Amino acid sequence: MIGFILADLRRLWLGGAVVVLLVALATALGVAVTLQERALRLGSARAADKFDVVVGAAGSETQLVLSSVFLQAAPLPLVDGHVLAKLAADPRVAWAAPVGFGDSFSGYPIVGTTTSLIDSTTSGFIEGKMFALEGEAVLGAAVRLPLGADIKPMHGTAETGGHTHADSAYKVVGRLKPTGTPWDRAILVPIQAVWHVHGLGHGHVEDGHDAEEHGKDDHAHEEGGQHVEGEPDHPETVAVAEQSQGQRHAFALGTASASHVEEEHHGSIDPDAPVVESFGEHTPGLPAILVKPKTIADAYRLRQEYRTGSTLAVFPGEVLTGLYATLGDAKMVLSAVAAGSQGLVAAALVLVTVIHVGQRRRQIGALRAFGAPRGSVFLIVWLELFLLVAFGVGIGFLLGLGAAHVGAQLFTEKSGVILPVGFTREDLRLALVLLGFAAVLAAVPALLAYRQSPAQALRA
Amino acid sequence: MLPLNIENLAVSFAGLAAPVLAIDSLEISAGSHVALTGGSGSGKSTFLNIISGLERIRTGRVLWGLQDLAQFSEGRRDRWRAANIGLVMQDFHLFPGLSALDNILLPARLSRVANADLVKRAHTLLETVGLKRPEQHVETMSRGEMQRVAIARALLRSPSVIIADEPTASLDLESGDAVGDLLLSVAADAGSTLILATHDQRLVERLDRRLTLKAGRIAADTDAREIAA
Repeated sequence: MIGFILADLRRLWLGGAVVVLLVALATALGVAVTLQERALRLGSARAADKFDVVVGAAGSETQLVLSSVFLQAAPLPLVDGHVLAKLAADPRVAWAAPVGFGDSFSGYPIVGTTTSLIDSTTSGFIEGKMFALEGEAVLGAAVRLPLGADIKPMHGTAETGGHTHADSAYKVVGRLKPTGTPWDRAILVPIQAVWHVHGLGHGHVEDGHDAEEHGKDDHAHEEGGQHVEGEPDHPETVAVAEQSQGQRHAFALGTASASHVEEEHHGSIDPDAPVVESFGEHTPGLPAILVKPKTIADAYRLRQEYRTGSTLAVFPGEVLTGLYATLGDAKMVLSAVAAGSQGLVAAALVLVTVIHVGQRRRQIGALRAFGAPRGSVFLIVWLELFLLVAFGVGIGFLLGLGAAHVGAQLFTEKSGVILPVGFTREDLRLALVLLGFAAVLAAVPALLAYRQSPAQALRA
Repeated sequence: MLPLNIENLAVSFAGLAAPVLAIDSLEISAGSHVALTGGSGSGKSTFLNIISGLERIRTGRVLWGLQDLAQFSEGRRDRWRAANIGLVMQDFHLFPGLSALDNILLPARLSRVANADLVKRAHTLLETVGLKRPEQHVETMSRGEMQRVAIARALLRSPSVIIADEPTASLDLESGDAVGDLLLSVAADAGSTLILATHDQRLVERLDRRLTLKAGRIAADTDAREIAA
């Protein structure tokens, strides 16, 4: 019987190929939509995985998450620097790290942060080492720059008409292992460098006992216009003092607002200053703070506490869930479109095969006349169509997988988020549903052939 | 061997006042070679369909041996036909894309009765009908060769009855003669009953008995010897 079906399909290969193609395309459409949506959901959830709580200034939750987790460039209101100090000192917090962004270099976002954040969210270095000086930078795995490269930060991005901070440059000292998150596309630098580039945080701290000395130091270094000196063993201070172009930002910027920061960014870094990662009362304003609470209960309490007044604390996962709900609606529309196209193809197939069976009445009648049982005739017609459709569904799944992979790759290149495209049990169910549908579909012409009287068929 | 007995058979189609076939009584003895003649619309094809069990019998009895086809269900008629009747048709009804051998074996395979013995018999039959290439695809054959394949297919399960409907009508004179010879000789060798509808006068003359149908009734029933006389 299989031999007969194959011989028949070989003879009608063109029609068969068209049927397979139609089914494959209709299936691929549905499969690609499902896979892509799931990959997007999983990929973004994984990207947010390491970020338990994000604290920012009161504003849009979604924008806070998009900017901090997905490094989407957008102006954010700044949260007071003392919040970071408070969080860092909180016994419920394992670590809290500032995230400063706004600059970029050849399309890669430059993110100011701390070594503790890098240590906690990545699995180490491919090459090189962690930044130790203010003028050093660490690359995400997907940044195509060599070790030792000079990075001149540009404010904003080239597309948005940003300008280059001409007198500042970082030297690349390390490259991180891939994390599958947008941070793979980031250039990570010490947060203090970002502040300094923008003329922030060059402040004396009230309780810094040697503030006077720093003042003197600064004047001594005229040509560089900068000198930064850390006080690593002084946890409560930002031990940075500078007078750049005769301006003193320090105290004013302790409570910086967005407008405040935007108005001037005259500043530069001292590439040889050691990195200082203790934050006190007069830490400059920050777009976002990533917080790792010690326990889940702590996470809820912290979120509760920092959702009042001028600060906003969010669980990125929760914000993403809200986004997925929107995404889900879009997926439903796309799925409906895919299902509609599948229904159209199914209807077209029934039409074509019923006509085809009609055209072959004589042949079917002859099969019966020469002694083929009715059951065999039914099975031949049914199997022939079912095989074509099943083959089409199979190819459609592969096509859909391929399309989703290509889509995911394009997305990863643009955003750095790795989209895990893959089949799950749910897809097996879809395949079974489609095959079951095909089985019912194929029964229509098969039944028609079954009911044909051989004598009548031969007479026609 | 199966003798045929028809009693009070009437075949009507909806919308037609007169029955297309009405036979009160007919006997065909086992092993005889009968020619069926008559103009188109005389009921020849209906007669062949009825006696081969292709058509349902609503009125009368059609007995092959002791079995009445009128009592059989459709599936039972299919099975009985497959086992007892070898059909040869004007249009061959071979399946393109399959070899000669596969065509011969196809009905048996679809009935799941093809075994090694039948495959061997198929090879022998190909030789019997004068074909040398069992793997040749039927669509590459001449019409005469195709009808030979069809005859081999009809003979595969050693049927007691061979029914042929205008087997030579679509062939040229030469191949028609050869096919006629072949049918007569294989039927004689196997002792099968041969019932053959044809317009071919020379073929008719070589058969034992001649039935002439007219408007669904038997108009003449003569022995070959009487014709010759």
